Amino acid sequence: MISCADFMAEIGNYLEGEVAEDVRLQLEHHLSHCQTCTVLVDSTRKTLKIVTDTGAFDLPDATFRPIAERIMTRVRSEGK
Amino acid sequence: MLRLRGITEQRLDHIVADYQKANLAPATRAVLRFTLKLVASDLSISREDMREASSEGLTDESLLEAILTAALSGLLCMLSTGVGAVPDFALHSIPPPEHFLTVPGDESPATDEKSGFNLYAPELNAGDFAPFVFFREQFSSVPSVFLAQTRRPDILEAEAHAIRALLVAGDHLSRTQKERLLLAGEHSKADLGASDGALLNFTKKLSVDAEEFSISDIQALRERGFTEHQILEAVATRALACFFNVLQAGLGSTPDFGARWTCKPAELKTVAKKAHLSASDQRHTGIIRPVDPDGECVARVQRGDLDAFEELMNRHSQRVYRTLVGILGDQDDARDAMQDTFLKVFQHLARFEGRSKFSTWLVSIATNTGIQRLREQRPMESLDETGSDEEGFRPRQVQAWTDDPEQLYSEAEMRSLIESGLMKLPAKYRVVVMLRDIEQLSAEDAAVVLGLGIPALKARLLRGRLMLREALAPRFISSGRKGSMKGAII
Repeated sequence: MISCADFMAEIGNYLEGEVAEDVRLQLEHHLSHCQTCTVLVDSTRKTLKIVTDTGAFDLPDATFRPIAERIMTRVRSEGK
Repeated sequence: MLRLRGITEQRLDHIVADYQKANLAPATRAVLRFTLKLVASDLSISREDMREASSEGLTDESLLEAILTAALSGLLCMLSTGVGAVPDFALHSIPPPEHFLTVPGDESPATDEKSGFNLYAPELNAGDFAPFVFFREQFSSVPSVFLAQTRRPDILEAEAHAIRALLVAGDHLSRTQKERLLLAGEHSKADLGASDGALLNFTKKLSVDAEEFSISDIQALRERGFTEHQILEAVATRALACFFNVLQAGLGSTPDFGARWTCKPAELKTVAKKAHLSASDQRHTGIIRPVDPDGECVARVQRGDLDAFEELMNRHSQRVYRTLVGILGDQDDARDAMQDTFLKVFQHLARFEGRSKFSTWLVSIATNTGIQRLREQRPMESLDETGSDEEGFRPRQVQAWTDDPEQLYSEAEMRSLIESGLMKLPAKYRVVVMLRDIEQLSAEDAAVVLGLGIPALKARLLRGRLMLREALAPRFISSGRKGSMKGAII
């Protein structure tokens, strides 16, 4: 029987699908009766999905253009 | 398979030319007819097909195996076309009998009285059977194509394993991108950016027009910045979708995996003339030789073409910017550091020899530029500290989250929440989360650019994700807030 601490030691590999089959079964057995770890797994998966889907810190083209122009001015002067 | 079982070439030719007059046993002929209908036409298996096959002595078990084998052949055909592998045995095109081309009177899927599937599927306890637990986690319920295969728990375990490896563990494309490929047809192009639209078109061509599929389709994706790993993951995801499409059509289950893109007989022809992801002399090894999608552009810059440098900058500006925001935690600083980064890249590009991908080299320069700036501005904050990553992290927010957090806020609100949450993280965690989860760098590439070992990178990634989860939790706990939050945070 594994403890919550044991589960937390493996949660990273579990979320990445990188645990051996027998370990996975033990972890999932733990999840079947541990509400706290179930919430952690579920909410961390949701966090990951939100971060991946939403993206963040997009650099708008209108912001990038003047930067690109400054860089290219320097590049063209150095490239001569 | 027949050849491996010792069937002579002459006999094979006879079967291929007209299997109905090749003196096959009735049951073998029935299996061929049945599976050809699945792979060589766009029709679903009907009640009449089932009755005909059963009357030839085929059991439910053998019919399920025939459907699974047909689905597997679709998957393998698509994989070999997509990666340009030369088949170990040349594949023949077997023309479907004429009557496949006309729809028989009753084409609706057979409706087994109890399950609604073509074949009887005993009930399995979804709470106890590990693959079903996994499917429910991934798809919120167990898709009916899996419920229709309960006669073969071993196959369901293998399918869960394949989905886990591709959708959960595979990390070159985002989960959203892979789900789009798996459920292709469910998204209109208007919902997609140009890159994702190109990816969807690429896999659609692979599915419906494999005869015309060629190296130029791969090259087009490379030019959009897709890596070899990403392209391989796209091909494999679409091949898996093809597998489930055939199963749905054969088993009469609900088409949870999107509309079927039919494999035409022509697609079964050898694809030896095409070279895709690997050089022809390497194809049998199954190893993909990494080709840098920026290689050609880099070479042009090295020959003095400055427009090519601008093109490289346009391709990678977002990645460089996010790396710098990740390290510096300040968007104005990141914009300044971006200019320094690209100037350094230009000054050193003549000496770039292509031993790593250009994008990896570029992000390494951005990382070094960011770290140098961080040391100058905030010497107390560092990416170098080690030792605490592996120590236990104790989450405080342990209340269950609402089922679909993304429905609670508008897109702009959600982005603001994520950005604010990321900014609260220490730099060494923030940058790892941004490179892996937003920029989708592989663990190996992220470790290289940050100068970390893989275990250290994974430890920081986990810590960063858990800290971000902690920061977001108050917004998403399910305490009757569902559907009432839009507009509440800005």
